[in-house]
Amino acid sequence: MQEKENLAPHIEDINRALNEKLSEEQIEEELRTYTERYGVPLGSAKRSIVKKYDGDPQELYISTDKKIEDIEGDEQGLNIKCRVVSIDDKEIEVDDQPKRIWYGILGDDTGTIPYTLWEAKSIDLEKGDTIKIENAYVNMWNEKPQVNIGSKASVKKIDKEEVPEFERQPQKLDLKDIREDMQDLEITGRVLSIEEKTVNTQEGEEKQLYSGVVADETGKAQFSAWHDFGICEDDVIQVKGGYVRSWRGVPQYSFDENADVRFLDDDELPESEELQETSVYTISDLAKRGGAVDAIVEAVMIDIKSGSGLIFRCPECNRVIQKGACRVHGKVDGKADLRVKGILDDGTGALTVVVNRELTEDILGYDIDKAMDIAKDEMNQDVIRDEIEEKLIAQPLKVRGNVTSDDYGLMLIADEVDQQSIDVEKEARQMLDEVRV
Amino acid sequence: MSMINREVAWRVFASEFNESTLEIEGSEERAPSYLVTPLGAKINRLYAVGVLTEKENIGDPEEPMWRARVTDQTGTFFVSAGQYQPEVTSTLTNMEPPIFVAVVGKANTYEPDDETFLTSIRAEIIKEVSEEQRDNWIIEAARSLKKRLEVAIEASKMEQISVEELVELGFDEKLAEGFKLASEHYDSIDFNRYERMLEDSLRYVLPEYESKSIEEIGEESEDERDEELEDFILDVIAEIEEREGLENGVDYDRVKEKVMEEKEINQEEFEESVTSLRNDGKLYEPVLGNLKRID
Repeated sequence: MQEKENLAPHIEDINRALNEKLSEEQIEEELRTYTERYGVPLGSAKRSIVKKYDGDPQELYISTDKKIEDIEGDEQGLNIKCRVVSIDDKEIEVDDQPKRIWYGILGDDTGTIPYTLWEAKSIDLEKGDTIKIENAYVNMWNEKPQVNIGSKASVKKIDKEEVPEFERQPQKLDLKDIREDMQDLEITGRVLSIEEKTVNTQEGEEKQLYSGVVADETGKAQFSAWHDFGICEDDVIQVKGGYVRSWRGVPQYSFDENADVRFLDDDELPESEELQETSVYTISDLAKRGGAVDAIVEAVMIDIKSGSGLIFRCPECNRVIQKGACRVHGKVDGKADLRVKGILDDGTGALTVVVNRELTEDILGYDIDKAMDIAKDEMNQDVIRDEIEEKLIAQPLKVRGNVTSDDYGLMLIADEVDQQSIDVEKEARQMLDEVRV
Repeated sequence: MSMINREVAWRVFASEFNESTLEIEGSEERAPSYLVTPLGAKINRLYAVGVLTEKENIGDPEEPMWRARVTDQTGTFFVSAGQYQPEVTSTLTNMEPPIFVAVVGKANTYEPDDETFLTSIRAEIIKEVSEEQRDNWIIEAARSLKKRLEVAIEASKMEQISVEELVELGFDEKLAEGFKLASEHYDSIDFNRYERMLEDSLRYVLPEYESKSIEEIGEESEDERDEELEDFILDVIAEIEEREGLENGVDYDRVKEKVMEEKEINQEEFEESVTSLRNDGKLYEPVLGNLKRID
């Protein structure tokens, strides 16, 4: 509470800014009226008093700046002193006009917060600069506050000492727990694969991208580094200050030159072979996470959708055709294919699973030619789907593959499908033991 | 991101499902509605496995409307399927009870009057399964019940149930929210009964459990229950007749109320027993709306 704050230094501060125009008693009375009677925040109150008596608020010396941990939600007129933890730029479109903005993370000794700088930089900011921001505003983005430095705000570099030294403390996360749109994260993992690619950015520049898969004991994640840190396959790396973006429906840990990358001892994590083993996720976790790379789902097949079994595809566009006609190419000579589109449900959630021809042949126990023969004999292609239903519905399955997420929910593209055998007796005894405790 | 997530299929035992009396209607257009069980399972869709003990076509042969009973070791699911579930109706037409079946469907409720709240499953899928698959389901349903019980027991220690605190304790948010809803609706929840249900269900799948053939399960759920209930109904009528010296039978609703309360059964079960008593010539209606015994 502000009223508990010692006002004496602020009174002195105002006094100095006003060249001792008022007595200390007068200032104190004014200050109390503003802060206690009208509930004006101390910083605004000081500014208002100095202005009221024709002084210059810039002369105020003692900061009433907020600390980052105090920033809670929408607010105007935010003043903070902080360090630039990271800075990036990107081009966006405003009223059909390209516009360059800067964004990243600000930090002080109480925490970090994302920011966006909406106007051309008057000063050249760099990572590590200590700055004072005045008159910024805060809004909520993905349920978290974000600092916006708009046209009314000012930014200036200040002495390093004005912000106490702090150890950057990004949120440490297990790879299993990374979720779309997270910012300023620390991860530790072993690089299972990495490859260098040249990609074209939105601005048409060519950039080198180092991407691959990283794993810890809890799971795997795709990563992409927009800077050459010299990372090699099998390295154990600790990365501070990356963020998570969804790429093709799978959350991906991304980082750039703003991140701190450290190479750790090899024995910090188990060997690659062990980490290769795929983690089991509940469907509710996958929904929260927004997908996963190489996940295992243990669930029961509770529905087989139409378009499963023996299907025919357009030779031009590969779309599934109905009654010999493609939606786009009209009457075509369809190519036969086999697949399963079903619903897996593990009691925590449900997802759509898609099983390709090869795996569907394994499930049926015969190949596509035999499936065609059976369908011809029965004069009905649905018999293959009926057989899949017979084999899979109510069956506990263990399915491995990538899980993507979009507006239609989660989709698991199966790489492996196995019947899950449950040791009913063991499970029952174990639960009975737990209940009796 | 607004995702259309398919409603999860809850694994609940028949007894917990049938004790539910809290329905939450979707507030917006096309919003799903839910049935909340006493332990806070917020059910839109469920997945049940049991013994198909009975089926009855209440439609006609061309347009069947099936009512079926699927019994687990705790009670009976009432299952329905009509014209909007053509695959289910045609499958049911060809099924001969007793067999093990899996049912996926939507929770449905019916309130014939103020005091009666009936639950059923509107089937989307029905399929014959193996005993092994039935046992798998019991394990899943037991695990699900165990989690709800853990939430319920922890929550009941709180002066005021706080979803936030429960989540901090490591419980699933949906379960915590569900139990809070349930606790605001259900007067008192007998945790011991659910604990017993959990233990009995787990013992049921153990090899030392006196195993019963599928035929026995089918018959038992019919015969034992019906006879006992029928005798009780006759006793209730006799008692009231004698005490009040009634000659023209006892008011139907009085009998129904007393039997349903004492036996903890639903209206459908009561009506079925009365019908079979009539068919057996043990009951009749001397005046409209009264029941009298035929000695």
